[in-house]
Amino acid sequence: MIKAINLSKKYGDFTALDKLTLNIGAGDIFCLLGANGAGKSTTINLFLSFIEASSGQAIVNGTDVHKNPRESKKWISYIPENLQLYTDMSGLENLGFFCGLQGVNQNKEQLEQLLEQSGLQKDFIKKRVSKYSKGMRQKVGIALARAKGAKVLLLDEPTSGLDPKASNEFSELLLEMREQGVATLMATHDLFRAKHTGTHIGIMRHGALVDSMETGQISFNDLEEKYLTHMHA
Amino acid sequence: MKHLILFIARKELKILHRQKSFGILLAIIILLLGFSLYAGQVAYKQKQAMVSKAQKERRAEWLNQGNKHPHIASHYGTYVFKQKTALSFFDSGLDNFTGTAAYLESLYPHEFMFRPVLEYGNMIRFGELSAALVLRLLLPLLLIFAIFSTFTKERETGTLKLLVGQGVDMRTIYLGKVTAFSFIVLLVTVPFFTLLYFLGLSENTATLPDFGLRSLSLFFLYTFYLLIIVQLSAWVSLRSSHARNSLLGLLIFWILSGIILPKMAANLGESLYPLPSMIAHKEAIKKDIANGMTPEETRTKRMEKLKQRYLKKYGVDSLKHLPISFSAVMQQGDEDYAGKVADIHTARLNGQMARQNGVGGLLGFVAPYIAVRNLSMAFTATDWYSTNDFEEKTETYKRDLVRAMHKDMELNTKGIGFYDYKPGRELWETVPEFTYQWPRLVQTIQHFKMEFLSLSLWLLLIVFLSVSPKKFCLS
Repeated sequence: MIKAINLSKKYGDFTALDKLTLNIGAGDIFCLLGANGAGKSTTINLFLSFIEASSGQAIVNGTDVHKNPRESKKWISYIPENLQLYTDMSGLENLGFFCGLQGVNQNKEQLEQLLEQSGLQKDFIKKRVSKYSKGMRQKVGIALARAKGAKVLLLDEPTSGLDPKASNEFSELLLEMREQGVATLMATHDLFRAKHTGTHIGIMRHGALVDSMETGQISFNDLEEKYLTHMHA
Repeated sequence: MKHLILFIARKELKILHRQKSFGILLAIIILLLGFSLYAGQVAYKQKQAMVSKAQKERRAEWLNQGNKHPHIASHYGTYVFKQKTALSFFDSGLDNFTGTAAYLESLYPHEFMFRPVLEYGNMIRFGELSAALVLRLLLPLLLIFAIFSTFTKERETGTLKLLVGQGVDMRTIYLGKVTAFSFIVLLVTVPFFTLLYFLGLSENTATLPDFGLRSLSLFFLYTFYLLIIVQLSAWVSLRSSHARNSLLGLLIFWILSGIILPKMAANLGESLYPLPSMIAHKEAIKKDIANGMTPEETRTKRMEKLKQRYLKKYGVDSLKHLPISFSAVMQQGDEDYAGKVADIHTARLNGQMARQNGVGGLLGFVAPYIAVRNLSMAFTATDWYSTNDFEEKTETYKRDLVRAMHKDMELNTKGIGFYDYKPGRELWETVPEFTYQWPRLVQTIQHFKMEFLSLSLWLLLIVFLSVSPKKFCLS
């Protein structure tokens, strides 16, 4: 579903991403761990075609994102670290707007239902987003992914700054989407959340994927140790 | 793509609608437009009433001046008054500075008197609030305030990434935003110019040919100008990394285009093509009339030529055998020569003025405000060329009046003492009442080629801006 083949990004002499190769299948949640500047966000930005790759390929659902960015975005839903919606519109209106951009025709009731299913409290659905917490905005992002039937979820540190309850709720939503066969690539600093939610974990350093593993085959303590070893190497 | 543009535009309008500050500013602009239009119309009606009354009184005065010698009548003269155009309450243009009435008297070219600006207090001399000024200067400022952060804010908050992440390309977003703000422009200009048209129709439009075409041209001119501001503001916002840079850039453009360059154009024009003082101009005419413009045109030589021409024409050898009054012919000869001298000096003066205006027209390439201001005056017939046309027609009327008096003298005063010939109302009635029609729009706009050219280039620029935002910076 999500495939990177020798994907690289260079800014002059600086290599932000070095020949990344990975393959994330339907229902997989691949968590990218690494320090700031390790290349996690660069990877996500390349899949979103926000930036152009220096070499290699980024493929989403069989579509090369750089050759056909518009087509590839039909399958992608993206939630950044701090999802900012239009604060003068309600969550419902925001969802309606972004769905409309995708050509997704959902009526008001269906959109309300999606927001509720994504965990947004009912009495906030029609309130302006300026009154929302970060967690609430992330839930609108999840509702959008559901509304458009996204096959790929790209998350850039989505739980950063969320309280444990909100973070847990968000993880639950990801697991629900996993059940529906959504492939997720999530950049995060949160080892606990990666172990708890992810199916695979990759550790990045200086733009390279230096280690990867299945979460079911490693304990949290071993993960932490591996991570710290790579960070101090 | 069209569907997406409209979809984004609708979202922009929804957000704008919910921003109280924008609503308040827009309401202030609409109130100012309404007020300036109302004030302009009231002033127009008052002036029209005064002019019509004065014109009737002066006509009655001319007809009822009693019996007198025609030459005395030609010096007794009369007044003509400049009617305001039915669109002048939108843009008074040069009306306040060009005078309202002229005293028409044989031999003497009188300048136009009663310039409205002379009656104003100190403050108003810095600029009268007209509806045209609100549309040219204040509405663009409101648009700048509304648009300067349209991209920078989305970039700073990250919603732009989210939009692009949905597969919408930057040009579609750009055009969506431009469409929304263009709708705001139309929301103001369509009802405003419709109202202006009907208000104008309720006044006297007989003197202003192409009234409908002029109103329509004004609508297109101002809508186009405001669309330039919309496009430019959106583009600057797209290209700026921060909202403050965008605002600063746009405000600098607004100040330069709307305030500094128009003043500079006037100063530059005056420096490059200085005009003589009014006293010097009048003295030069007086001197040339008295001495002749060339040694061949002294009064003695001119009169000798005239005498020879008349002797030949009537086949006689002495003035006393002429069947007409030669003193009347001489007086008309003086009148014709004075007219010729005045025409030459005025043409020189007008040439210099046209060159000064040309400087302003050139600056329209960098400041669309100047081009729009000049064309707005042309469309409302309050520009310098229309004023000139009125002055020329006035001069022609005066010359016809004086010629009619002298012709009567020529035919009826042979052998009669100067004070013994005293015709009356019958003669005065042979001079028709002064009526005036402003030139047709197509004639006026011929003088504004530079303005049309500069606006055409601005049109090309905004088309280019519409298609350019493919590459962009998201952060």
